[in-house]
Amino acid sequence: MSHRKLWVLFSLLITVSLVLAACAQPTPQVVKETVVVTQVVEKPVEVTKVVEKEKTVEVTKVVEKEVPISRGVVTVLGVWGGDELSAFQEAVFPFTEETGIGMAFEGTRDLAAVLTTRVEAGNPPDLAILPNPGQMRELAAAGKLVPIDTFMDMDTLKKNYAQAWLDLASYDGKLYGVFYKVANKSLVWYNPKAFEAAGYQVPTTWDELIALSDQIVADGGTPWCIGLESGAASGWPGTDWIEDIMLRTAGPEVYDKWVNHEIPWTDPAIKRAWELFGQIARNEDYVYGGTTGVLSTFFGDSPAPMFDDPPGCYMHRQASFITGFFPEGVVAGEDYDFFPFPPIDEQWGTPVLGGADLIVMFNDTPEARKLMEYLASPKPQEIWAGKGGFISPNKAVSLDAYKDELTRKIAQAVVSAEVFRFDASDLMPAAVGAGSFWTGVLDYVGGADLDAVLEEIEASAQDAYGQ
Amino acid sequence: MSPRLSKTLSRFPIHIVLIGMGLLWLTPSVGLLISSIRPPDAVNQTGWWTVLPRLFDTSQYTLRNYQEILGAQGMALAFRNSLLITIPSTIIPIAIAAFAAYAFAWMEFPGRQVLFVIVVGLLVVPLQMTLIPLLRAYNRLGLSGTFVGIWLAHTGYGLPFAVYLLRNFFGSLPRDLFESAYLDGASEFTAFFRLALPLSVPALASLAIFQFLWVWNDLLVALIYLGGTEQVAPLTLKLSSLVNSLGQNWHLLTAAAFISMALPLVVFFSLQRYFVRGILAGSVKG
Repeated sequence: MSHRKLWVLFSLLITVSLVLAACAQPTPQVVKETVVVTQVVEKPVEVTKVVEKEKTVEVTKVVEKEVPISRGVVTVLGVWGGDELSAFQEAVFPFTEETGIGMAFEGTRDLAAVLTTRVEAGNPPDLAILPNPGQMRELAAAGKLVPIDTFMDMDTLKKNYAQAWLDLASYDGKLYGVFYKVANKSLVWYNPKAFEAAGYQVPTTWDELIALSDQIVADGGTPWCIGLESGAASGWPGTDWIEDIMLRTAGPEVYDKWVNHEIPWTDPAIKRAWELFGQIARNEDYVYGGTTGVLSTFFGDSPAPMFDDPPGCYMHRQASFITGFFPEGVVAGEDYDFFPFPPIDEQWGTPVLGGADLIVMFNDTPEARKLMEYLASPKPQEIWAGKGGFISPNKAVSLDAYKDELTRKIAQAVVSAEVFRFDASDLMPAAVGAGSFWTGVLDYVGGADLDAVLEEIEASAQDAYGQ
Repeated sequence: MSPRLSKTLSRFPIHIVLIGMGLLWLTPSVGLLISSIRPPDAVNQTGWWTVLPRLFDTSQYTLRNYQEILGAQGMALAFRNSLLITIPSTIIPIAIAAFAAYAFAWMEFPGRQVLFVIVVGLLVVPLQMTLIPLLRAYNRLGLSGTFVGIWLAHTGYGLPFAVYLLRNFFGSLPRDLFESAYLDGASEFTAFFRLALPLSVPALASLAIFQFLWVWNDLLVALIYLGGTEQVAPLTLKLSSLVNSLGQNWHLLTAAAFISMALPLVVFFSLQRYFVRGILAGSVKG
């Protein structure tokens, strides 16, 4: 009996799978239509959109006849997800409406591995959004990328982007990418209500910052919230601290030498930056939860005590994207605000440290070119700026486009910065910038001897830089 | 009465240990379940165990995470894609492995041991090593981005273990059964379909569970061979794309874990029936 039943089940499953197989065959053709469907996200007026959808497909076919290589869809690989993804899709929507070219976005947070595999296998996406220029250089050096200065309007690009951005996106004299989404990392977040209640003033120099921290401790509070835990990337928030301090104590030139490993890690300038970081992060009275708390708190959770009553801590140094982690219901400008990470040595002023995603191109198709040109223009960047959580490096993007006053201030700081430097750890070889630097920070905060930590990083750097 | 009582008493410590281990194993899942129905702010501030003292106070729970996930665009499509990938990727390797395992166990042919050793040897090849060469071949054959391609990939990855497990199970069936079948004029096919397969239901069922879970939970293989576009992305990819690039909105993943767990649980419990019955049926009847 049970055998027969089992057979029925088995043959049923086989039939189902055959039917499914038959259904699945036409996949390649379907892609085109669905991609357009993706753009419809969050649009309530579906009826009109559906009509447009039909139209778009029509247009796509016409384009295909004109240009033989065209596929009507540009594939884009990137790390964005959640509301970032929907904001990006919305930003591309006018492009699809206008040109009939769809965008198929593939998101993965494990970008490096997936991209390497696909590139090696000869199946790269048309465009990719890389989280830092380091990987761009590797890919450009391997000849996998299409230089974009051959078809982009360089005059407009030079007008809209600061030279520093174009230099960072270039390799061997050719431009390979356009920076799209920036994070300003030189920010200290605080709770204005708590500051007011305790009568604290926003510090404008490092000495005032330390004085304020001491004052908070004397009043029985805890000045700082720091969290270094971030899974396999644990330690990176500490590297941002040290980079920010380096820029303020040694200046941009020494900073660049440090990035290129022209000075050793044991150099006094580097050591001093670490010591100043340690002055805060290793001080049990200064940090919420003590050094154990610093080491074991997830970076995204770490600012939460700032909003407790009474506040668990008063200040949090982190990049602009941290607002995405703030508890729900806190209001920009009221419950939280920021001040620039204050200058330390007066001569170096208040530089801005940042990170940014850049768009690069693998397949030179007419559609990919058009999308690339569109993305470098202010329009899609203004759309995303209006959705929030986005800062553009493009000078042509109107500051009015930003969703709130706070984001506008952050964006202003980025475009008007006298000295802007890219996150050093993102520019260093992965063995250092995403390896020994991170673990070094953890060891140091955990109580290890600074000289030993720096010597260890130096040893790994000598291998990584091939000296 | 008294012998039964003493029996119960003597088993008491074992039961305590078993229940203790069961609770220990369940703890992370319970924590995940509670986290998934707590508001994100509460999750950030206190541990899931803090709800335990007032477990029945429903005001501390919310179904918002579930609503947000199920309401996300394209969820139904992702679910369909997952089924499209998983069902054939479970059936094909098991069907092939059953034939192969029977041949390895009961048919005499030259090179049998060598072939079997090679299959077992493939068990230790990490699948990551095959990604680039296989994807290259797929590009040539036009299989990348198609469901057929990923079925074949999962079949290949699943076969060594499936053949190994089934061969050992077939090999442990009593030789007399097959000899008498051959004497009665049964062909190899009859012996396979009438004897080997029905007797191996427990092994087939457990293999199906393994393979189903592995394919259902897979993210990497789908990402590489199918790509992450909406049209073909399975549930795992869709769920991972709900989280922002730096991990904002991670609280959604707690609920996502339970949603993606639902179907495997159904599969497990429905196959478990065969599983247990099969084991009992196998206990020799002379």
